[in-house]
Amino acid sequence: MDMSVTINHYVVLSSILFGLGIIGFVTRRNAIILFMSVELMLNSVNLMLVAFSRYRADMAGQAMVLFIYAVAAAEVAVGLAILISLFKHVRTVDINSFSLLSDN
Amino acid sequence: MELYFWIFAAMAIGAGIFTVTARDALPSALGLLTVFISLASLYLHLQAPLVAVFQVTIYAGAILVLVVFVIMLLMTPEDKLAGEQKNLPFRSMGAMLGGVTLILLALGVRGVYCMVGEKALSDGFGAPKLFGSLFFNDFLMHFEVVSVLLLVALIGAVYLSKKNF
Repeated sequence: MDMSVTINHYVVLSSILFGLGIIGFVTRRNAIILFMSVELMLNSVNLMLVAFSRYRADMAGQAMVLFIYAVAAAEVAVGLAILISLFKHVRTVDINSFSLLSDN
Repeated sequence: MELYFWIFAAMAIGAGIFTVTARDALPSALGLLTVFISLASLYLHLQAPLVAVFQVTIYAGAILVLVVFVIMLLMTPEDKLAGEQKNLPFRSMGAMLGGVTLILLALGVRGVYCMVGEKALSDGFGAPKLFGSLFFNDFLMHFEVVSVLLLVALIGAVYLSKKNF
C-alpha cells in the first residue's frame, strides 16, 4: 500500500482539527476556551489552504492565510476586550451567566 | 518525510483534544500552543516557510500571549465554574454535532483526491521573494483593506477596555 503523504492526509487532519474546534465551541462553558476553540478552527482552515497551495503549486493560498491571520488577530483583540468589559459586570467567564440582554 | 507528517499530525490532534477537554483555561492555552507549533512544522513540510514563521510569531507569539494575559486578568482562584456537568443533554448534543460534522468532512474528502492532481513545484516556491511580489502586486488592495480592519479592531479594543464602559 502506498503510504506517501497526499493532500488527503492533510484534509483529514484539517477536518479532525475543525471538528475538535466545533466540539469545544458547543460543549464548553468557559468563554476563554470558546475563543481558543475558534482559533483551533481558524488554524485548521489555514492548514487546508496551505496544503492546497502546495499541491496546486499556487502561492495565492499562502497569501490568503496571511489575511486570515489578520482577521484572527482583530477577532481576538475585540473579543477579549468585550470579554473583559463583560467580566466587569458579571464577575465570571461562564457563558451561561451572560444574560444581560434577557428579560428575566 | 512521511514520519515527519505523522509525528506532527499526531501531536496536533492530541494537543487539540487536550485543548477542548482541559478543565482549566491555562492548560488549554498550553495545548493550543502545542497545536500552533506542530502546525508550523507542518507548514515547513508543505514548502511554506514564511507561513510557518508567521504562525509562530503571530499566533504563538502574539495572539496566545494576549489570551494568556486575559486568563491571568480574569481567572481569580474563587472563579471555579460551578456545576460543570449540569446541562448534560446540551453537552452531549453538542458533542454529537461536532462528531457528525467531523465524519461528514472526512467522508467528503474522498472526492478530493481525483479532483486535485499534484502539480510540479516551480523553482523557489514558497520563497519570501516570490511571496512578497505576489502579496504586493495581486493582493495589494486586500492588504490595504486588512490594514484598515486592524486599525478598526485596535480602536474598538481600546474603546471597549475603557474604564466606565
